[in-house]
Amino acid sequence: MVRSKARVIRALALGVAAALTLAACGGQPASPGSSDGTGTTPTPGGTIYMLTTAEQWNRIDPQRAYTGEDLAFFGATITRSLVSYKYSTDVEEANSLVPDLATDIGTPNADASEWKFTLQDGPKWQDGSPVTCEDVAYGVSRTFATGVISEGPTYQIAYLDIPKDEDGTSSYKGPYPIDGKVVGQELYDKAVSCDGSTITFKLAQSVPDFNFTTTLGFSPVPKAADTGEKYDSADVVSNGPYMIDTYETGNGGKFILVRNPEWDPAFDTVRKAYPDTWEVDFGIDVQVMDQRIMQSTGNDAFTIQYGNVQPANLATVFTDPQTPTPQFAGRAVSDFDPYSLYLWINVEKVPDLKIRQAMAVALDREAVRLNAGGAFAGDLADGVIKPNIGVDYAETGWATDLFGEAIPPAGNPELAKTLIADSGKPAPTLKYDYPSTPVNDQAAAIVKASLELAGFKVTPNPIEAGVYYSVVFDPAKKGDFGSGGWGPDWPNASTVIPPLFTHEGGWDLSEVEDKDFNVKVKAAQTELDRPTQATMWQDLNKEAALNAWIIPTRFGLTQVIAGSKVQPVYQWAPYGSWPYAVMYVTQ
Amino acid sequence: MLAYLVRRIVGMLLLLFLLSITVFFLFSLLPGDPARLTCGKSCSPQIVEANRHRLGLDEPALTQYTKFVAGLFVGRTYSADSPDPIECSAPCLGYSFTRREQVLSLIARAAPVTFWLAIGAFLLWLTVGISLGIFAALRRGRWPDRVVMGISMVGYSLPSFFIGLVLIFFVIIKWGFLPFPSYVSPFENPVQFFQTMLLPWITLATLNAAFYMRLTRNQVLEVFGEDYVRTARAKGLPERRVVVKHALRAGLTPIVTAAGLDLAYLLGGAIISENIFSLPGLGSLAIGSVIQADLPVITGITLVTATLIIVMNLVVDMLYAVVDPRVRVG
Repeated sequence: MVRSKARVIRALALGVAAALTLAACGGQPASPGSSDGTGTTPTPGGTIYMLTTAEQWNRIDPQRAYTGEDLAFFGATITRSLVSYKYSTDVEEANSLVPDLATDIGTPNADASEWKFTLQDGPKWQDGSPVTCEDVAYGVSRTFATGVISEGPTYQIAYLDIPKDEDGTSSYKGPYPIDGKVVGQELYDKAVSCDGSTITFKLAQSVPDFNFTTTLGFSPVPKAADTGEKYDSADVVSNGPYMIDTYETGNGGKFILVRNPEWDPAFDTVRKAYPDTWEVDFGIDVQVMDQRIMQSTGNDAFTIQYGNVQPANLATVFTDPQTPTPQFAGRAVSDFDPYSLYLWINVEKVPDLKIRQAMAVALDREAVRLNAGGAFAGDLADGVIKPNIGVDYAETGWATDLFGEAIPPAGNPELAKTLIADSGKPAPTLKYDYPSTPVNDQAAAIVKASLELAGFKVTPNPIEAGVYYSVVFDPAKKGDFGSGGWGPDWPNASTVIPPLFTHEGGWDLSEVEDKDFNVKVKAAQTELDRPTQATMWQDLNKEAALNAWIIPTRFGLTQVIAGSKVQPVYQWAPYGSWPYAVMYVTQ
Repeated sequence: MLAYLVRRIVGMLLLLFLLSITVFFLFSLLPGDPARLTCGKSCSPQIVEANRHRLGLDEPALTQYTKFVAGLFVGRTYSADSPDPIECSAPCLGYSFTRREQVLSLIARAAPVTFWLAIGAFLLWLTVGISLGIFAALRRGRWPDRVVMGISMVGYSLPSFFIGLVLIFFVIIKWGFLPFPSYVSPFENPVQFFQTMLLPWITLATLNAAFYMRLTRNQVLEVFGEDYVRTARAKGLPERRVVVKHALRAGLTPIVTAAGLDLAYLLGGAIISENIFSLPGLGSLAIGSVIQADLPVITGITLVTATLIIVMNLVVDMLYAVVDPRVRVG
């Protein structure tokens, strides 16, 4: 997943809500009485405020929401899916699936090319009508209307067993009529079918982790309520504990959620729905946001931050990257987010392996990290798979022996010179693309200086931050190397290695198209034995690093702060977000 | 007078036409690809092309411009052949696919906020700036003059983001004298409106008031040296009449010029103040659009702001004749 424009992640933990006895009456929150491990008792009621510099949500439409924070917030409040992640402070536990609208976490056939989910008989939409299998099938179908439903995840198109046209697009064009006719509906109906409350997905290949896929863009949408492109608004109909009351975009705008009277906790074991209301305030100046939450007076005591603590305030809030100062103990968290930062190298323009490796070992990664905030910015990375993903991570030996000798954090320009000499070519002049911000401008100077120590000539190419990715995804415009970042869509490197290093993946900034590598990727994707699959991803991560398709720079660490009367304060691992579904206010 | 007006208006329309061409083609040359930007991360070349078609960017630039101009008069339909076409009614300044709204309605919603912010701050800085400027001029070289000039120097030195943040921190967060700004129309809730706008007005007025103090003082002192002022005094007119009727009226001409352009500039959006105080005005709309690379909105705001400045220029020129008896249009 990519980072939302206006923010990023969250952090460490205290405790999570224990199981609560759920009242079986509509629209009511969980009963009070159980401690969440923070020393306070969750109680229903009140309002949790969220401040953000953003002027609006990236996307609310369940088929278009794709940033971690959007997925986490809407998943906890208005948009339920077949399965969900567990709420826990423990990373491994939080990354495991639990049933949500479905009665279990999905049943695959023998080769995982067909998955079945049975819906609970009970969840309702905010108008009181039941959530049906047909609603799920319809919601999934919307993604195929690529001319209308943009920016969302497209695993549906990639995985479902629906033929492709000659131009590579799906033969099913989505549920909206084109020239009065829905194109390819019969093909979709073969791939996605309902039998009572059981929905079956037929896939074009084995996808052992398909149930994780259904956390992205597989939420139901009632056909009668769908307004197409405009559904990405207050039109969204809720099947969760809250529903949209107000959505005003822009500076000073507000997004207010109130209780959904049709939500019944008896049919929702995931969400505790403690606060009566959620209020998101848009367009708050970043300095003002920090100060308000740090001072925590009035309603700001019930406020959480959608964004990170500003560097200037880190020393006030934290003693060190792991420890809040006494004043902010229990309110501030610092933890690894899901994102890996790296420099991609365009193999089309830098085809020589030795040259790419020389670039990798020459880079002063420590200076880049210091420039980004030092220890507060994270650890030096050794690949694109991050340790907090779980079993798919193993050390690649990037800094120790991957390139035959140790690479100190400040780089090894002598080894780089040797590699350049081994290539038999002169060190090339390289164009370095990056999104222009003050911090990135300084980082570019570091990149240039350290690579030029090895003999390269580097021309920094600052690109306006808002359009950066649209430029570097254009092969005609992109430079020789540039900066990038990535977080997995779910805790499996199947959402890291294929996107980053195959053309089909969608985030192949390095322009890698290696047939042998692709075969290995396909094998890992369809491997049914999880430990074996993990080993395969680890090997591919190492291979990508050794091929210097990327230069890993940092495993990101982020810091956030909450008001003094909001709990629990920890980073929920699946999306690196606040644990919205179990948050409550204290008195 | 009428012929002058007609000439100016025709020139103004021509200028706007040239400006629209410049702005439109300038922004279409920017490096970003809106079709890719609205594609998200799971993107394929086919989806990018579908987006390009949906946004109307798959047509030649001249065709796009023609449609843009036509849209101003007769409206237009985006993605006419898609399952979900988007209507943009005339006058259509464009459609923001990022905000899913017509550019004109975005601007129309933001404009009143900026208007009230600008007018309030404008009146505040004119009142304070001109009064203290005259006060200082009348006491040239004495301590009140030095105090006023000292104040002006301090006000001029403080950037508005600093003033804004300091006011928010102490007046709102620390002392709780005012609630955090939340804009409402003055006709809907005058008290909340005043509470919201007071600090932005002060922030915005501080810098400009400092400038107008100095400008007014210098102008008045310069006019005091003119022959006709000496003549007026020699005729035995009361000092009050000399200052108000003769010196000030002539001395105001450059102040009117500066004030007119400053107001026009401000009506285009006070980016820093609007952002610090979370006011949904044109300035914050503009900066948000730049960050999100929302080109239709940037184009729309640029054109609207330029129009305002051109119109205000005309108004200022007309006011010259009213303020300064030596100037006659024709």
